[in-house]
Amino acid sequence: MWTPARQTAIVGIGATEFSKDSGRTPMQLATESCLAACADAGLDPTMVDGMSLFSMERNYEIEVARNLGIPRLRFFSMVNHGGGGGCATVAMAAMAVHSGAADYVLAYRAFNERSWHRFGSGVQDHHQSPEANDVSFSWTSPFGLLTPAQWAGMFATRYMHQHGATSEDFGRIAVADRRHAANNPAAFFHGRPITLEEHQVSRIISDPLRLLDCCQESDGGVALLVTTAERAQGLDREPAWIAAAAQGVAEDQWMMRSYYRDDITGLPEMGVVAGQLWESSGLGPADIQAAMLYDHFTPLVLPQFEEFGFCGSGEAKDFIVDGNIEIGGGLPVNTNGGQLGEAYIHGMNGIAEGVRQVRGTSVNQVDGAVNVLVTSGSGVPTSGLVLSGEGG
Amino acid sequence: MSDVDAALDTALQSLVGGKGPVQVATEPVGASEVSAWCAVMSEANPLFVDEVVAASGPHGGIVAPPATLNMWTMPVRIGGGSVGRDTDQPQQAAYQLLDDAGFTGVVATNSDQAYEGHLRPGDVVSARTTLAGVSPQKQTALGIGHFVTTEVAYANHHGDPVGTLTFRVFKFRPGTGRQRGDEPVDDSPRPERPRPRWNQDQAWHWEGLRQHELRIQRFTGSGLLVHPPAVADPTTHDMAYDWVVASGRGTLYSWTAPEHPKAPAFEDPLVVGLVELEEGVRMVSNIVGVRPDHLEIGMPLEVCWLDSHDDVTLHQFRPARPGRRTDTMVRGDVSVGDRLPPCPIDVTTDLVKSGALATFDHQDVHHDGDAARAKGLPDIIMNILTSSGLAARWLGDWAGDEVGFRSLRIGLGASNHPGDTMTMTGSVTDVGEGGAVTVSFFGANSLGNHIHGSAELVLPEVSRGAGGRA
Repeated sequence: MWTPARQTAIVGIGATEFSKDSGRTPMQLATESCLAACADAGLDPTMVDGMSLFSMERNYEIEVARNLGIPRLRFFSMVNHGGGGGCATVAMAAMAVHSGAADYVLAYRAFNERSWHRFGSGVQDHHQSPEANDVSFSWTSPFGLLTPAQWAGMFATRYMHQHGATSEDFGRIAVADRRHAANNPAAFFHGRPITLEEHQVSRIISDPLRLLDCCQESDGGVALLVTTAERAQGLDREPAWIAAAAQGVAEDQWMMRSYYRDDITGLPEMGVVAGQLWESSGLGPADIQAAMLYDHFTPLVLPQFEEFGFCGSGEAKDFIVDGNIEIGGGLPVNTNGGQLGEAYIHGMNGIAEGVRQVRGTSVNQVDGAVNVLVTSGSGVPTSGLVLSGEGG
Repeated sequence: MSDVDAALDTALQSLVGGKGPVQVATEPVGASEVSAWCAVMSEANPLFVDEVVAASGPHGGIVAPPATLNMWTMPVRIGGGSVGRDTDQPQQAAYQLLDDAGFTGVVATNSDQAYEGHLRPGDVVSARTTLAGVSPQKQTALGIGHFVTTEVAYANHHGDPVGTLTFRVFKFRPGTGRQRGDEPVDDSPRPERPRPRWNQDQAWHWEGLRQHELRIQRFTGSGLLVHPPAVADPTTHDMAYDWVVASGRGTLYSWTAPEHPKAPAFEDPLVVGLVELEEGVRMVSNIVGVRPDHLEIGMPLEVCWLDSHDDVTLHQFRPARPGRRTDTMVRGDVSVGDRLPPCPIDVTTDLVKSGALATFDHQDVHHDGDAARAKGLPDIIMNILTSSGLAARWLGDWAGDEVGFRSLRIGLGASNHPGDTMTMTGSVTDVGEGGAVTVSFFGANSLGNHIHGSAELVLPEVSRGAGGRA
């Protein structure tokens, strides 16, 4: 229980529009997002004294702080491992404000991941030195395994073989996300739902992954503002309480290439997160009304249901049928459209949607949503959150 | 069509339907020639070579492998050969007309054998050829030309028919191909693959690959094998290690086939597999010689090597050569869609030359590198009868000694040059009455499909067991 249950909260969310070409610099997107999050909370940005980042963030806190006119920054950190660190930025912020290291902490992600360097183009130019992390790519890159989709494809084939899942089961995730995105004016794919048939004829990216199994690189920014229960009282918004926040790495962990474990169909690092979230929040799968599950690639969504105990190992394909993960189903997932439908902002937009569900302001509002699960990158060192409308 | 073309066409069509005189082999089918053929093809069926086993087998004695059907009347065995065209033979007359009209290029496109009986040692084979057809002028990638189809009927010295060969060649005008000019040819060199990086914790692994050794780290205290290499044994924290050289055998644990974005350093189709070595560790590697739709989790694999950079060798894995069944499949053992085990065949200079000689094909492009290069080929090429023999051997390895062959139809594509590997893959496409099974197959090399084709086989009702020895 390393984050205090329900003693801290997300009190502001802010975002730019999501697009394939923002027309602005990432620094401007970061600044706009942070200003929007402060405005949402009703907080003077110069009151912010902490910044919580995760790696691959190229807009460092010092320059954002300079733009915001922040006179002193007392807490700043960067969690490693890219998309796995999204929820961890909130965890770090919660610990910082709870401990007194800071009063108000901003966490953000902003980039032109589509119009500038395309994130999905691969790591072929990655190798620079014989340091351990560069060497780690030598076991895959010379063989042509260069992009996140390709790394994910290796897991997907084994999952299908071992659990009898099919490409259609992956497709059902995409269909649910796109159905939700279709209602969301902020989403990339607003007004553009897809059918399972469309998923099945979309082109192969890395067999067995199809185009509609993959999120699309996006331009945009999202920021979150975290503070304590006491300070939240003086702000404009109902707090989205942080019921639990946790990180996880499991045995023989690699970055999306954990191919050497006895079983590669699970996400044991997500299991490490799940155990902590349930323990520290005092909640369980039955207490969750909606979930924002990291969905850069559909095959890596299925084992998340299993790791969090919504169903048994290998049973996710049965759990997601009949609209169970869509609005009106047993566990609506990614009600903003997820990264497949709204935008791929490394999961920070999923946290923002979790806040909206708790506030009751989602475009796809789940009736009676009190507790919402949010996860970060799958297949990587990761993190997760339970947000709640019920404070401590 | 020009007047000249029309006149040629008329002359060619007038030959169609013509039959040549019967040609009789100067030597009988010989047991030692069969034995030599089996050695070259790695054919292990005792019914072709072992008198004792064959006597109690389904044929009542030694028979020649069906795929040898047309080799017993090759030119060197009918007293003919290299002295000009025997225009008594209608196909030769057609070839001469085409040569004279400038269609001097020739490439064989199809060799379809159909079997009616068995040849046995001592049989004297006769052949009679019919010119079955000459196509209108066609434009292909090779050039403008005509397909010429012959049918040869074979009989033994008793006059019993033993089978037919439908043989098709394409006679074309050199230099009229589509590939030059019309289509942009990308002949820019392939960029290098991403270069692996290593430090002293893994250098021994990469040095091993240079020597074609697949080295796996072994922590000497516990004996634990670890891949990719680590600094410490995670169970004991012992840092002392050496390595074992893996056997190179493993199975396919998972795979993905990247298609988009294309990385220009890699061949297409690109398959990246996760290989579980028999020593117990897994490694990521390319899977070569097998199309993605023929991959199966658990399929046996064996290591092979790729020199990817001046100073880097990478391991690759290919389907392991399947073993030969010791019994014969019976009716009901196979269903439509069943896949045959993929089988790599190393195309060595030795195999190409000895295959040509074992099948009495003395054309210089199959054994003389200088002659092949003088004809514009990069090196000698495998002859059709060797390709057919290898395909038949692979089919027999899968089905067993007592399988019957009704036909073996082969379409020819990219040449088999020494140094390449041809991988046979195939699946059952039809299961009919009386044990009839049709297999459709491909033999692919680095240039594409060397052969594609189908075979009609007949499975027995019951298997007599190991090579009929039971």
